[in-house]
Amino acid sequence: MSSKSGVRPTKGYLMEMQRSIVFIERGTEFLKLKRDHLAKELSESIEVLRGRRRLLLNNLQEAYKAVQAAYLSLGPTEVESQANSIRSTLDIDLLPKSVMGVQYPYIKILSRPKVEGELDITLSYASDKVYSILEEIIRLAEFESRVERLADELGKTNRKVNALENFVIPDMKAVIKYIQDKLDEEQMEDLVRIKLIGGALASER
Amino acid sequence: MTYAVVRSHALLADLLTSHQMRSITSADSLEEFIVQLSQTPYGQVNLEPDVNPSTSLERVFYQKFIERIVKIVDIVPSRIGELLQTYYYMRFETLNLDRIIRGKFSDETPQEIQASLVPMMPFKAPSYQALSEAGDMDALLEMLKGTNYDVVAEKVTAYKQYDAIWPLQLELQHLYSTTILKTVDKLPRDQRYLISKIVELEADIENFLVAIKQSRASKEGEGSKPEMFDVTYNISKDVLHLVVNGADIREAVESLGKPYSDILAPIYEGDVALIRTNLRSQIYKTVSQARGGNDFGFNPIMAYLVFSELEKDDLTGVAWAKEQGLQGEEFLKYLVVSNIS
Repeated sequence: MSSKSGVRPTKGYLMEMQRSIVFIERGTEFLKLKRDHLAKELSESIEVLRGRRRLLLNNLQEAYKAVQAAYLSLGPTEVESQANSIRSTLDIDLLPKSVMGVQYPYIKILSRPKVEGELDITLSYASDKVYSILEEIIRLAEFESRVERLADELGKTNRKVNALENFVIPDMKAVIKYIQDKLDEEQMEDLVRIKLIGGALASER
Repeated sequence: MTYAVVRSHALLADLLTSHQMRSITSADSLEEFIVQLSQTPYGQVNLEPDVNPSTSLERVFYQKFIERIVKIVDIVPSRIGELLQTYYYMRFETLNLDRIIRGKFSDETPQEIQASLVPMMPFKAPSYQALSEAGDMDALLEMLKGTNYDVVAEKVTAYKQYDAIWPLQLELQHLYSTTILKTVDKLPRDQRYLISKIVELEADIENFLVAIKQSRASKEGEGSKPEMFDVTYNISKDVLHLVVNGADIREAVESLGKPYSDILAPIYEGDVALIRTNLRSQIYKTVSQARGGNDFGFNPIMAYLVFSELEKDDLTGVAWAKEQGLQGEEFLKYLVVSNIS
């Protein structure tokens, strides 16, 4: 039994092991709670993600139709010339956010391009749709990253709980039992020895 | 004039029929589109290397259209020639100057700017190459001084104040509108009707679109721009200002009556591009009706050029759609010639 190699079958070690197993069992309970919360959060997030993707797909189709209409109305050269004249750009900042200790990126939009003054109305309609979608795409990417990291964390937590429940705790219990058995054995041996010594002393008297 | 009329009748036969246009529109790919086009008066089309095929084709269609204008301008009486040159050449030149200004504003290279220009010789402006090679916007505006576009160069203060090009663009549009008005006024009354009708229709619809755009900009908290309705015809400044100030669009459109209410109807669905298609269809109807009344004066000359331009616009749209792999039904509503019954 490899888990018992190097084990010192002493009362002090037994007490230390008993303290450790209480601590590990409490930790396991916490990890189980975390796992359940992560699983709940993940299943809810996947539902939201599906809805958002569906919505984005519809909006993408609408935006593409608007861009298509602008190209058909103005011609490709005019659309590209007008688009190139937009000097202000979309500025974003990447910040960390956390849920149950799981970090994921949060994208903060600092400034949006102002296009009203520079574009033809057809292109202005199309650009509005594209920019509204751009924000949706950013939010969706943020959400997908959150879901992905939650799933990763859930996997890790699950592996930790399994390892603790199936290996660490049973091993420790076995070690404790082994020490207890050893100590009981030693105690019996001591008792026998005391009895033998007591018998010998009594016969001498 | 008689020769010009007879020639225009002959040239009208060179234009693509709605049947031919429908056939081209149903091409499965851009390659098939080019093959079908080669069987028309456009002949074999050579695409420029390193340029998007649809952009290259757009240049081909512009070149063909400008060739057609030249054919007519060369044979019509001088007053009509002056009007046609102003109406078409100055319009394209305004577009080119607009693109040069945009290019300078966004620091495009002279090559990029030149690639975006309508392929034509300068009309009243200095060389487009020299303008596109100007060091910066100040140098560009300096080059416009002493030309027909002097008034645009005078807007340099407004350009710097707002750090935006719309003051220059507005002045260009204003100059074009007023020049057209003056040129139309020089024509005899019987020749003036058709071109006036087209110019009025175009100006009214563009004014209305600008008003809608302004109202959207005001809602988003952008500062208001100065007076931009220099020339108005059947849609009064009062109506336009009501729209700018957020009046109910449907009510405003319905109050305009036909054909405006029909042309502008797609705005209810937010399809602004379809408004321009409706406008082009209405111009087609107006010209056809005018030809129905008199097909032996200025009308067939104007019809040839108007139909040519509609053809150019439709072909440009189809080329882009084919490049994108779109099927006919997805873009057919934005075409005019193929929808003529």
